[in-house]
Amino acid sequence: MTNLDAAVLKPLLFSLADDEVVIGHRNAEWTGHGPLLEADIAFSSMAQDELGHAQAYYALLHELGEPEPDRLAFLRSASAFRCAQLVELPRGDWAFSLIRQCLYDAAEGERLAALARSRFTPLAQAARKFAGEEKYHWLHARTWVEQLGRADDGRGRLQQALEQVYPYALGLFEPAEAEAELVALGVKPAEAELEQAWRERLTPVLAAAGLTLPAAAPIYGGRRGQHTPHLAALLNDMQLVFRSDPEAVW
Amino acid sequence: MPDITLADTEGELYEVFHQKARGEHHVHVGAVHAASPELALVLAKEQYARRLACVNLWVVRARDIHASDYIDADMFDHATDKSYREAFGYKVVGKTRAQAQTRDRDD
Repeated sequence: MTNLDAAVLKPLLFSLADDEVVIGHRNAEWTGHGPLLEADIAFSSMAQDELGHAQAYYALLHELGEPEPDRLAFLRSASAFRCAQLVELPRGDWAFSLIRQCLYDAAEGERLAALARSRFTPLAQAARKFAGEEKYHWLHARTWVEQLGRADDGRGRLQQALEQVYPYALGLFEPAEAEAELVALGVKPAEAELEQAWRERLTPVLAAAGLTLPAAAPIYGGRRGQHTPHLAALLNDMQLVFRSDPEAVW
Repeated sequence: MPDITLADTEGELYEVFHQKARGEHHVHVGAVHAASPELALVLAKEQYARRLACVNLWVVRARDIHASDYIDADMFDHATDKSYREAFGYKVVGKTRAQAQTRDRDD
């Protein structure tokens, strides 16, 4: 639909794109470091999927008058990013990255299923296009979590990671800027609704792995540009080459 | 057959078969290490289906495969000429073409 105000849409698109580019970068850090070669390749490959999604969201922003996708990813500073703090945390150990991937992709799955019905048609089309890749990401996460949950050592490490990550994961559902308006316009579902669906998706998988969802208060701020120092450090790495010559042609 | 079960922590070896379209044969494309068949399927997807078109994957525990021994490879040798068994000995295409031409002429 064409009568949607770009100013209302942009913060939403930035939050979607920035989540993907930052988690993509974090997961790509497993390249060459996974517990086995196959796991390493799968994780890195999913990181490429996330970067591809980020690029598509940045392209939508570009159509709404923002600079080109590369410039959005590589020339903005941390305070301009609208990602949840969950995605910027360092990759930690395998249990930490897996639990984060599990919580993140469960949210992503619910979000995309809902956005597939968005009144902002280009976003609905993107969401439908990403559904297959996200289906795999979720399968990957839950299969690993169920597998590692079978042994005491694995289960203990996963539970510990879950306790650390959970308040940040709740931050994925920090209401967007112009939330009420976007929901009323049918552009997106309410964050509270997504969070409920997310919990319902996660609970049986975590239970099967012998894990329990902690009770914790959400850590918000990411959607308003408040970040941990980890984001600036990550961007410093990620943007270094591009910033050294933004006009270079690759 | 040689024992290919791994003693380390990388799990077991699973052979991977890839199907590029419904109705086609599954074709062996390689192997993955995994701790369960479910995980083997998940990992096989990124190893072997990230570039090729794919509609279906099989994974088979490598130790479930019964294989012949290379020491017996001589039993596959042909002691005498058996080229009459080989399919390329049949000139089917030429034959059918000739028949079709005969039919055309007769019509």
